[in-house]
Amino acid sequence: MDATMSYQTQDIWTTWFAVYLYLGGLGAATLALAIMTNMYIKPHKEIVLWGVLSGVAMLAGGSALLFIHLLNHIAAWHVLVPTAVFNKPDAWIAWGVQFISGMMILGLLYALPTMVASEGLKRFPVVGAILKMGIVVGIANLVDHKLSKLLGWLAALCGLGTAVYTGLLLQSFPAVALWNNPGVPVLFTVSAFSTALAYLLLVLNVFVQRKEDHGLQSLYERLDLGLIVAEMIIIFSFYNYLRHSSESAMRSADMLFSNAGWIVGFIGFGLVVPFLIELRGLVSHWQSRTPIVLAAVLVLAGGFLLRHYFMFAGVYACPS
Amino acid sequence: MTRFAMVIDLNTCVGCNACMAACSLENQTPVWKNMWRTYVHDKEIGTGEEVARRFFPRLCNHCSNPACMTVCPTGATFQDANGIIKIDEELCMGCQACSMACPYHARSPWHYDDVREGKNFFGGDFKRKQPGMDKCTFCAHRVEKGIKPACVQTCVGSARLFGDLHDPNDPITKMVASGMARPLMPHLGTHPNVYYIDEVKRGAPWTQL
Amino acid sequence: MAWKFPRLSRRAFIASTGAGSAALTLLKTTGAISKPALSADSADEYNYGICNFCSSLCNLRITTRTNNGVKRIVKLDGNPNSTLNRGKICARGQAGLRQTYDTDRLKTPMIRVEGTKRGEFSFRPATWEEAFSYIATKTKAAKIQPWEWTMVGGWTSCIFYMNWAVPFAMANGIPNIVASPMQHCVTTGHLGTDAVTGNFNVHDEILPDYDNAHYILFVSNNASIGAVSTARMVRFAAGRKNGARVVALDSRRSETAAKADEWICIRPGTDLDFMLAMLGEMLREGYYNNDFLVRHTNMPFLVYKDEKGQWQLANDAEGRPQVVDQNGTSVRSLPAFTNDNTKDVSGVAVYPALMAPANLKVGGKSVVTALQAQTEECSGYTPEWAERTTGIKADVIRRISREFGTTRPAIVDPGWHGARYGNVMMLRRVQAMVQSLTGGIDVEGGWIMSGEFHHKTAGFFAAKNAGKDPGPPLTNYPGLPFALKVIDVVSKPEMWKHGHPGFSWAFAEQERNAGRETVALPAMADYGLKEAVEGKLTYKGEPYKIRALLINAANPVRHYYPDTNWKDILSNSNMELVIAIDVLPSDTTPYADVLLPSSTYLERSEPTLYGNGVNHDLALVTRYAPIDTLYDTRESPDLLYKMTEIISGNVEGFLGMIEALAGIPAAPVKEELAREKAKGLTNPFTAACRTVSFDVTAKRVGVTVAELDRPLRDKGVFTEETKKEILEKYAMPWKMPVPSLSGRVEFFSGLFDFLGKGGNVGTHFSVFATAIPATCRKDATMDKPLDKDEFYFTYGKVPTVSYGSTNNNNPVLSAINNLKKDIYTGIWIHPDRAEALNIAAGDGIKLTNTVSGQSNTGFAYITRLVHRDALFIYSAFGVENPALTRSYGIGTATNKLIPYQLDPVVGGFRSQEFTIRVAKISEKGGRA
Ligand SMILES: Nc1nc2c(c(=O)[nH]1)N[C@H]1C(S)=C(S)[C@@H](COP(=O)(O)OP(=O)(O)OC[C@H]3O[C@@H](n4cnc5c(=O)[nH]c(N)nc54)[C@H](O)[C@@H]3O)O[C@H]1N2
Ligand SMILES: Nc1nc2c(c(=O)[nH]1)N[C@H]1C(S)=C(S)[C@@H](COP(=O)(O)OP(=O)(O)OC[C@H]3O[C@@H](n4cnc5c(=O)[nH]c(N)nc54)[C@H](O)[C@@H]3O)O[C@H]1N2
Ligand code: SF4
Ligand code: SF4
Ligand code: SF4
Ligand code: SF4
Ligand code: SF4
Ligand SMILES: [Mo]
Repeated sequence: MDATMSYQTQDIWTTWFAVYLYLGGLGAATLALAIMTNMYIKPHKEIVLWGVLSGVAMLAGGSALLFIHLLNHIAAWHVLVPTAVFNKPDAWIAWGVQFISGMMILGLLYALPTMVASEGLKRFPVVGAILKMGIVVGIANLVDHKLSKLLGWLAALCGLGTAVYTGLLLQSFPAVALWNNPGVPVLFTVSAFSTALAYLLLVLNVFVQRKEDHGLQSLYERLDLGLIVAEMIIIFSFYNYLRHSSESAMRSADMLFSNAGWIVGFIGFGLVVPFLIELRGLVSHWQSRTPIVLAAVLVLAGGFLLRHYFMFAGVYACPS
Repeated sequence: MTRFAMVIDLNTCVGCNACMAACSLENQTPVWKNMWRTYVHDKEIGTGEEVARRFFPRLCNHCSNPACMTVCPTGATFQDANGIIKIDEELCMGCQACSMACPYHARSPWHYDDVREGKNFFGGDFKRKQPGMDKCTFCAHRVEKGIKPACVQTCVGSARLFGDLHDPNDPITKMVASGMARPLMPHLGTHPNVYYIDEVKRGAPWTQL
Repeated sequence: MAWKFPRLSRRAFIASTGAGSAALTLLKTTGAISKPALSADSADEYNYGICNFCSSLCNLRITTRTNNGVKRIVKLDGNPNSTLNRGKICARGQAGLRQTYDTDRLKTPMIRVEGTKRGEFSFRPATWEEAFSYIATKTKAAKIQPWEWTMVGGWTSCIFYMNWAVPFAMANGIPNIVASPMQHCVTTGHLGTDAVTGNFNVHDEILPDYDNAHYILFVSNNASIGAVSTARMVRFAAGRKNGARVVALDSRRSETAAKADEWICIRPGTDLDFMLAMLGEMLREGYYNNDFLVRHTNMPFLVYKDEKGQWQLANDAEGRPQVVDQNGTSVRSLPAFTNDNTKDVSGVAVYPALMAPANLKVGGKSVVTALQAQTEECSGYTPEWAERTTGIKADVIRRISREFGTTRPAIVDPGWHGARYGNVMMLRRVQAMVQSLTGGIDVEGGWIMSGEFHHKTAGFFAAKNAGKDPGPPLTNYPGLPFALKVIDVVSKPEMWKHGHPGFSWAFAEQERNAGRETVALPAMADYGLKEAVEGKLTYKGEPYKIRALLINAANPVRHYYPDTNWKDILSNSNMELVIAIDVLPSDTTPYADVLLPSSTYLERSEPTLYGNGVNHDLALVTRYAPIDTLYDTRESPDLLYKMTEIISGNVEGFLGMIEALAGIPAAPVKEELAREKAKGLTNPFTAACRTVSFDVTAKRVGVTVAELDRPLRDKGVFTEETKKEILEKYAMPWKMPVPSLSGRVEFFSGLFDFLGKGGNVGTHFSVFATAIPATCRKDATMDKPLDKDEFYFTYGKVPTVSYGSTNNNNPVLSAINNLKKDIYTGIWIHPDRAEALNIAAGDGIKLTNTVSGQSNTGFAYITRLVHRDALFIYSAFGVENPALTRSYGIGTATNKLIPYQLDPVVGGFRSQEFTIRVAKISEKGGRA
């Protein structure tokens, strides 16, 4: 049919959903990175505690947002039960929910020995009491001795899955060219890990502040630099793809590349500035922590802006 | 086997909205918040002095490859053997992923307060029990009994035709097979099953003068 | 739909009660109890009825369901057994059941709160007894005389209750009925058509056979098709699918014009010029059905021009028309009344000539045929002439004339709403003439009269031929004879004991005596009402006042022009009593003293059986109430009965009049009434009339009451004869005369000849088709350029509302209107014109009438689908009563812009005969 077309954005999944995508990707990647760091780079109790606990908190927060916005909260149990993925293996949300809940549990289990050992945590009211419970201590010991690697790997895989899932979800909406392409999961995954590195850098620079973490820090910085570069390349290819593709894509490009929030906010302050700061740090070390903290904060903000503008600029091509 | 489908002949759609009214009452849709399972665009098209007014009815296309069903995490959206895409009210948690996925703006949400208003508005006969997604069902409850969908039944222009594409003798099968009736945005790969016959102007003035 | 940043548009956390109820629901819907056992009482039940939202009178199938002992209407559909609307109904018809369930309904009788003024919606609920005693007390105290009452009726009361309303008026001595459909549409538009075809009835009786037409032309008409008259639209759709070519003359791209192959965007008010040029072309080029004109029309009649330049029939000494035969040699007299010109008065065969030989003289006068005379009249009406005013290229007019004249069968839709310009009556006359030129009357693919109309006319002629009384006029008089009979009754003082004619006739006389222009046939018009209320009308030296109004199913504050007229009438201190009967709080109801709630059409079983509207088939229908009344409401016949007890006490007379005028015998009605009363029925009189009507009708059609009732209950229609059978027997004018004055289709108008001889002069009364320019501006023709901010004014029906009726409050319809708000409630204006005035889409604009100074506001809907010279508004909006909660304050009321200007023939409104100035008042979204 040669219907006339109109081009519309949506108002169903709005800012709250960008937050959900953001917290999901960030939380998952943070958790995965923290565990991997602990397992393969250097054992690091603080990173485990900070990474796992804030990762779980972020995932919980994001999921809560999704839950609040459900039309029917009770029916949500249909997707919470693990059989959901067998029921609907083609639905990314079904996988996402399993990945997220899986990694929250696995992550907590993995961190349990560290938590049980943490004097600080034990001073917390309810949490402390739980951590002192015999069964909890028992499980922690079991994990510590036998399951640590397995749990770590499973949690990290779930983390990767979650990060990828946030992109796959958007990719499954065919009417929107901005979303419906294989670049999205890649972009979202890269961005998730980049923001997670920034978050861990922030933790190391603001909360932990140990001299001996210097090497770890610069490893994170290098990795992040690489991811930022990758992200810039992906964004550049998106630009080219959107400019010379369907009408829907071109309208998205118009919306994005005429928007100060996107260009100055996300590309400028979310990618280019932290890239320059971290590059400078790589070439000749910064004397103070401030530039790295600043870069981390900018990367984190950029990560959110990316998702916000992605939701914002998804243009539906509609017959009318 | 049956494959239900609709053909809409734009030549005789007068934009009267009878289909909207019929559907809303037959299927108890939330008119109080202006949500419809079917709606009719009323649009000015053309350039310069050659302007036309086009009425263009829309509804769920009951796609053979429905994006809405793929994304649905609970399995609430499902397809019947006759091709109709349905939503199981009890399974739907209302994540609205299907709304996001549907390229045709065919779905709308019921909130808790809509369900309350529904009881108020439709009285003791109100059917819906809980919030969730809603969309055209091709009036499954009617067509499964051999009656035409409400919108088709009342269409004063006989613009809406309903039938079975697997029945070679059904008039709509021929319309579709001949290419006279065509679906919307087939390039998206959703394989829609609502087809449109474009308007034809007989003896347009510039050929006659 | 733009997604603004930052935006959290979604509802915050759902209220806890919501979650709670969902939890309960979940419990209920799990496991064995999940499927609420389909209780036996929830099966669908069907009843049949008639839609009440426009005069198309579609046949309905009403579905009810009973849940927990409560029966509820759940769906309306077109009656699948109906050949009228073929199982379909429009949006209004579909949404109709929500009128019954409208929360804003009038639910009990109400009496004005002491000390409040008319115009304030301040009422206290009352019992029926209180309401009646209030009316009785007031009537007595104010000594309201019968002729001081005026009944005001809308089309509902007209179509369904005429058989009670007219006898009520007669029995109570009330010569005054103001009927909504008359000045607005029926008289103005239809009298023109019907002057040619003779078939004036209360609502139109022509249903063009679009199914079989090859060419269809619409002139200033949308409702037949696009605003949807289902009976017409379903046929049109079939015709279009069959390949008919469709052309629409409209000053905007209406829904109908959108379906046309060719939209002719004509300058408003100039359609008559277009049609005259077309008539001229067809006559000049010989695009007509020769044999039809010769045999069945008065085209061969000989006419001459008198010394004043008026065309007169060259009748013989006995007043019979004369024709000249084919050879042009012998002049013969024809019977004064017949449908066939091929036999002269002595029964000798003749084939009259359409062209008289040059210099033919009869009785010393130079004569020509009517066809020649009309051709001569049209000599100036060339396509080039029409191009000037219409703005349509002469070539196009010529081509359309040719296409129409040479394609058979072809239809020019007769048109519907008339009251726009003083020339619309003539326009509709010319349309009827153009149709008649093709011979397309009562033939396949042409205009076909309704089955009921054929039946009535056939019966009437049969009685006349047998020298018998045709019977009760309300049911047995067709077309013009009926119209003339009505006029006779209301216009003549001697018809009334008290010696007062209707106020409008008295006022016409007063104006004529004062040497002012007046109205020839102000039948059922509000002409002079304001004067009568204000004490400015005298009759025979005595003041003739109107001091009480009984308004039933009418909304004059919204429907008449201008609104202030009726507000003044209703609020005048001389007005002692205003009673309004309605289903919803219309804009008129705040002006009542007593409000009487009526049951809706889905809650009542009607007092009689009805014909099947415009259906070609002859069939009977009625309403069977599917549910009990929801509130403390009553029905019209019972209210009129009660009012008779109050006004005159002449109940016997009322029953007698019903018998005499409508053929429902009084004696059995009285017996039934006693029986129903004993049963304690709320509306015993309605029930009694229904029983007797069934009896009478069953006898007429030769079946038992049960045999009549059964099919009506099971199928909703009782078909007596099909279109085919009817046309075979009664096709007009082929098989029997049309009820015009001469029995023929009249090009030379007998009616206007009669009116002219009665002293009415001017082009409006011309016996032949002639030009009448619209005068929208003083001393300026329509083609003269408008000022930069000046526009012609046009309006039309919206598909989703009837008139400006209370059904714009219907929740389903108002939701659709809301969805299409810009188009439906905005003021259409062309972008070129808007730009020049710096008006953007959605801006608030002010409209000011250049003639009357009236003004109103609205918002701009900018579209190329409207003529550059014109504004267009859908006329369904502008509700002022906040009690209509869903439509209050939406849209622009047209009757705040339209002044009181009447046409001289029937007092029809000239509701577009002015121009409007437009000024921007606010940016989009600002308060207009
Ligand atoms: N603004 C505006 N005015 C118009 C027109 C227009 O389009 N717009 N059209 C003009 C034309 S062509 C016509 S024919 C007239 C028609 O004018 P009307 O015949 O007066 O029109 P309606 O609006 O159908 O009915 C008037 C009142 O009847 C009430 N009513 C509805 N159903 C029932 C019922 O069952 N019982 C009772 N007692 N009351 C009922 C409605 O609530 C409404 O208040 O209007 C004319 N005036
Ligand atoms: N939806 C709906 N349908 C109805 C009714 C209703 O209230 N609502 N009422 C019924 C009744 S009682 C009536 S009388 C009929 C009325 O039906 P119609 O006679 O069709 O009247 P409108 O819809 O008022 O206007 C018809 C068209 O005339 C156009 N027009 C206005 N001025 C001019 C002009 O000067 N020249 C030309 N060529 N076109 C012009 C308008 O743009 C509009 O599209 O509708 C009937 N059907
Ligand atoms: S009912 Fe039919 S003609 Fe009317 S708007 Fe709907 S599809 Fe078009
Ligand atoms: S039109 Fe939309 S809702 Fe309907 S089946 Fe296709 S994708 Fe699903
Ligand atoms: S809203 Fe309901 S139907 Fe739609 S995707 Fe979510 S669970 Fe499935
Ligand atoms: S098929 Fe039924 S549910 Fe679908 S739009 Fe038509 S009436 Fe509504
Ligand atoms: S055309 Fe529509 S409003 Fe008029 S009678 Fe038929 S269904 Fe009712
Ligand atoms: Mo009318």
